[in-house]
Amino acid sequence: MAEIFGGHIAAKYMKEVEGVDTVFTLSGGHIENLLDGFNQYGVRLVDVRHEQAAAMMAHGWSIYKNKPGVCLVTAGPGFTNAVSGIANAFLDAAPLVVLCGRHPLRDDNTLALQEINQIDMVKPITKWQATCYDIARIPEYLATAFRQAVTGRPGPVFLELPPDILFVSMDEKNLVFPEKRTHRTRVLPHESELKAAAHLIDNAKKPLFIGGSGVGFSNQDDAFKQFIEKIGFPFALLNNGRGALPDSHALCMNDGGFTAVAAVAPQADVIIAAGIRFSWVMQATKLFPQAKVIRIDIDPAELDNMRTSQVGLAGDCGDIFERLTPLVKKADHSPWIETVKNAYQAMLVTETEQKNTVSDPILPLRLTQQIMTEIGTDAYYISDGGDTSYYGMTGFMSDHRAGVLAPAGSLLGCLGTGIPFAMAAKLANPGKPVILLHGDGSFGMNCMEFDTMVRHNIPVVCVINNDCAWGMIKHSQEMSIGHDRCTCSELELRHYEKIVEELGGYGEFVKKDDDIIPAIKRAVDSGKPACINVITDPTVVSPATAMFYQNLSDF
Amino acid sequence: MKFTLLLFGLAQLLKIASHLNKAFKHAVRKAQVRILITTRDRERARLFTFDRGKVSSCGGFHNDYDAALVFKNAGIGFKVLTSSKADASFNAAADGGLCIRGMSFYAKWFQDVTQLIR
Repeated sequence: MAEIFGGHIAAKYMKEVEGVDTVFTLSGGHIENLLDGFNQYGVRLVDVRHEQAAAMMAHGWSIYKNKPGVCLVTAGPGFTNAVSGIANAFLDAAPLVVLCGRHPLRDDNTLALQEINQIDMVKPITKWQATCYDIARIPEYLATAFRQAVTGRPGPVFLELPPDILFVSMDEKNLVFPEKRTHRTRVLPHESELKAAAHLIDNAKKPLFIGGSGVGFSNQDDAFKQFIEKIGFPFALLNNGRGALPDSHALCMNDGGFTAVAAVAPQADVIIAAGIRFSWVMQATKLFPQAKVIRIDIDPAELDNMRTSQVGLAGDCGDIFERLTPLVKKADHSPWIETVKNAYQAMLVTETEQKNTVSDPILPLRLTQQIMTEIGTDAYYISDGGDTSYYGMTGFMSDHRAGVLAPAGSLLGCLGTGIPFAMAAKLANPGKPVILLHGDGSFGMNCMEFDTMVRHNIPVVCVINNDCAWGMIKHSQEMSIGHDRCTCSELELRHYEKIVEELGGYGEFVKKDDDIIPAIKRAVDSGKPACINVITDPTVVSPATAMFYQNLSDF
Repeated sequence: MKFTLLLFGLAQLLKIASHLNKAFKHAVRKAQVRILITTRDRERARLFTFDRGKVSSCGGFHNDYDAALVFKNAGIGFKVLTSSKADASFNAAADGGLCIRGMSFYAKWFQDVTQLIR
């Protein structure tokens, strides 16, 4: 009789049935047997220095690999530390599978070590949550967790695995793994709705396509390409949908950043909004009150959310593109596209000049341009911070899916996500450069993860846009309460690159424009996790700050 | 001359609105924004300053703006600013008649608040 531990059952199931090859974790007593199981079955464990990084890495992994990311945290503080990462994944609709330790079932209500009600705490920020009480049902619970994470709108799920089932064993021959099925059933709109959408598309004079994370998670880039090239709409890809087609595509407006969307959307007569929610960033209903809107969303309840759509198409974005493509006429909107591009470029004159002009002190957009000059578009870019997220989103261009991400710019506005996402990007794409543009404030939140990068050989190049402040907050305070009354928003000059050097990475300090590119070259050539600490102009305010301030000042 | 007078007139309208127009007063009550409207040659220009509900302006070119609407010439500037079409600025930008310097977000804001006095 071969016995198998509960922790090993969980690891074996995930490896053999769900195809999990990497788990992000931080060790703990309650999850020891599961960690051992992952070792036993050859699952790579990336152990971090704070559980929020594990959750955020798994979130990033889910985007770069287009499959659920798995993090494993221990009970109590391991769980609470992970909460920010789980909440971020929830608002970002990312398929994150959180496996969590728990105080023993045996010890409920005895003031056991790390005894808290984790399930009730995590309910508002997960799609599904459960505790498994029976060793024999571990595979069934895991199957449910993975299925829930990706069914419909993706999102995080949470499974508690108490030591009472992880640390005991059962006869392996009695173990049954649920079959992993790929269902062919799809939610699809009625044919009449598709025809109505095609009619609007065919009659559009000033069209615009805005795609969000739903386009990315759909993972049908070819279907999107065929559809968009047939209808000829200019498009912007936002959030985790960015890169479904390269930023350099002739119809793409991503070189204009959000300025382009904000300039063009009010002029458009027909807008296709696919896989994107009308959040505050999209200015909800205000940005394009006049346009006829075709909304495509995996969640039917989203179709008329915030504003009524002229046509609502429920379903996976890729499936709907496939069905719409034969229904629409081939169209050429070249004159409109030229108008659009000329218009938004005329609104970005200063930004373009800043990118192309040597600056002293260094301007943030000049910094992004110098990085692009050295690294190019065959790379993955991440940015983290308030203003810094804007500069990254505007300044970086990539040929790759999710090649430019600003996870701190998602709905939770969660600073500190940059380093975990960059690590996930590098692990998922080891042959490509991964560049992280970091604010100095947000750098402090997860900078100990450079230790993780060194231990696991994850050579990310982090460039700090160092304005010695929580820039977005500082500039907002300057606008709202005055330059002389800024509170808790100033930082001081710190040599963050030396922290990285001490942790075993590569570091440089840069103050001059001419030194940026050589420093980046040396950082890449070092082959180590690297930090280039660049002092930038602290007076520069990004449009994101103006928008942020306006959003909070209208009371 | 028409353009210069238009900018002067706009300044007076904005000042009056800051006292009498409820919607306008609400929109500008917290704003600290400087908008320059100028021709490309800088010969005709006016700076509009919004300072927590107060609106002031002074003629001539100034460098200390948050956003500048730079018209190719006074004729285009007059035509765009007096147009009743919502897409006049957008089309002028597309045709090379207008560019925005500084932060276009504030230019859009200015366009929105001036709509309130039409």
